[in-house]
Amino acid sequence: MTLSATELCHGYDGDPVFDGVSLSVTPGEVVTIIGPSGVGKSTLLRLLALFDAPDDGTITVDGVDVWAASDQRRLEYRRRIGMVFQEASLFDASVRRNVEYGVRVRQSWADRLRTALSSLSRRGNGDSNVVEALETVGLHERADRDATSLSGGQAQRVAFARALAYEPDVLLLDEPTSDLDPRNTAVIEDAVLAATERDIGVVVATHDMHQAERIGDRVAVLLGNEIIEVGPTEPIFESPSDDRTRKFIDGELIY
Amino acid sequence: MIGHALTAGYAVLMGAVTGSLLPLALEFPFEWHYIRSIIRVSLHVSLVAVTLSTLCSIPVALLIGFKEFRGKTLVTSLINTGMGFPSVVVGLVVLFAVSNEGPLGTFDLVFTPEAMIMSQFVLAAPVITGVTLAAVSSVDQNVRDAAFAMGGTRIDVALVTIKEARYGIATAVLAGFGRAISEVGSVLIVGGNITGPEGISQTRTLTTAIQLEARQGRFQTAMLLGAVLVVLVLLVNALVIRLGNGGGRYR
Ligand SMILES: Nc1ncnc2c1ncn2[C@@H]1O[C@H](COP(=O)(O)OP(=O)(O)O)[C@@H](O)[C@H]1O
Ligand SMILES: [Mg+2]
Repeated sequence: MTLSATELCHGYDGDPVFDGVSLSVTPGEVVTIIGPSGVGKSTLLRLLALFDAPDDGTITVDGVDVWAASDQRRLEYRRRIGMVFQEASLFDASVRRNVEYGVRVRQSWADRLRTALSSLSRRGNGDSNVVEALETVGLHERADRDATSLSGGQAQRVAFARALAYEPDVLLLDEPTSDLDPRNTAVIEDAVLAATERDIGVVVATHDMHQAERIGDRVAVLLGNEIIEVGPTEPIFESPSDDRTRKFIDGELIY
Repeated sequence: MIGHALTAGYAVLMGAVTGSLLPLALEFPFEWHYIRSIIRVSLHVSLVAVTLSTLCSIPVALLIGFKEFRGKTLVTSLINTGMGFPSVVVGLVVLFAVSNEGPLGTFDLVFTPEAMIMSQFVLAAPVITGVTLAAVSSVDQNVRDAAFAMGGTRIDVALVTIKEARYGIATAVLAGFGRAISEVGSVLIVGGNITGPEGISQTRTLTTAIQLEARQGRFQTAMLLGAVLVVLVLLVNALVIRLGNGGGRYR
């Protein structure tokens, strides 16, 4: 599916964060959003994840205005989108229960009750998607561990697996590796590329320029309160058309 | 003058009451069916009251915790006041409510277990709501967001919140139960501490029985009832904590 934002304006308590932002993601591509801290990357991702209605502008799924649709339709659209936050925010439960969650909320109440009852009597391996998602992040052997006992990097990988397990069409990642070491970062980046091979469209907000270069097909530069530049990653990093982009990239590349 | 007449009247009354009850009770100070019936009434009243309070308090705590509305601070401080509300006053109000002049007068609830359930409900609900509110408020907003992002509805997010706050909610229920089963004032007023024929408790609870037995100098019976009360509270604590951990195994 194609998720698009058109001319979004949004803010908090009358304080605008951005004004007239447009962005879309198509199946199998990775779009990175780069920009300094506090510029509104998370706000944009939350709007794309259909958390809140934008103050102005539209968000469409395959051309359908999501916020003009019924609540039921919007829930269906929302359930085709996955989001991973900067903090893993795992439930105080086993790794498996965490990863199962998205699958379970999509079941009917009768099925959920049945699953709950059968999980009391025996310990199945559960949904094959759940196992596969955990394998993707290399944690299938830790399925029965308490999620609270994981390291930061492992927790973030579980958070990623949680979003993969219910097979979304679009994945939104909010600085998914900013607290991680290079090894865990590599696991997540590989998982992102694996997701694109299954035709999942991915949007990654990051302040890591190198990451944007490594995994992004396209890059959107969020500065001030608008996207000042958007397009294929390489040309923009090589020769940005906007001077502020060049300064921003250069400034960050010093690190 | 009037004061004197009242005191004299009170003395006569007390003499009559103790005079008639004392020999009766002395015949079976350790009558097990008497004690069992008291335990049954105590447990019945407090468990029903706490169950009903819990069912009402959790949704209310979730609403207060996560909805923005005018007067939220006021409601919160009302709940906190309610946590320490004097039980005799609650008893008084409930007694009035169920009396002939009260709004519930037609149901004939004076000196019944139902009236006691009502007053214990009123006593336990603020405690359970207040402690639950603190517990659910401390659930990380990020965790709630994660549940929503994974496709959860508002109801799913509420359920996740309850699950994350389960230990705090267990504490809330325990605190409510402790408050309910160990209070004397309101059950004495609305229940009347009544025993039926053959000394079977109708509205006599452990606390009101202890109060009566102690006043009449039967310390052994009072002590025994006190020990039962303490053991009951400990048992319920152990049970709830056990359930909390058991739930954890299948998390
Ligand atoms: N829930 C909120 N309430 C009020 N202001 C917020 C809220 N979330 C973010 N903001 C403000 O919106 C701006 C953009 O924040 P954010 O989207 O988190 O930026 P980024 O993710 O790029 O660091 C910041 O100035 C921030 O203070
Ligand atoms: Mg952010």
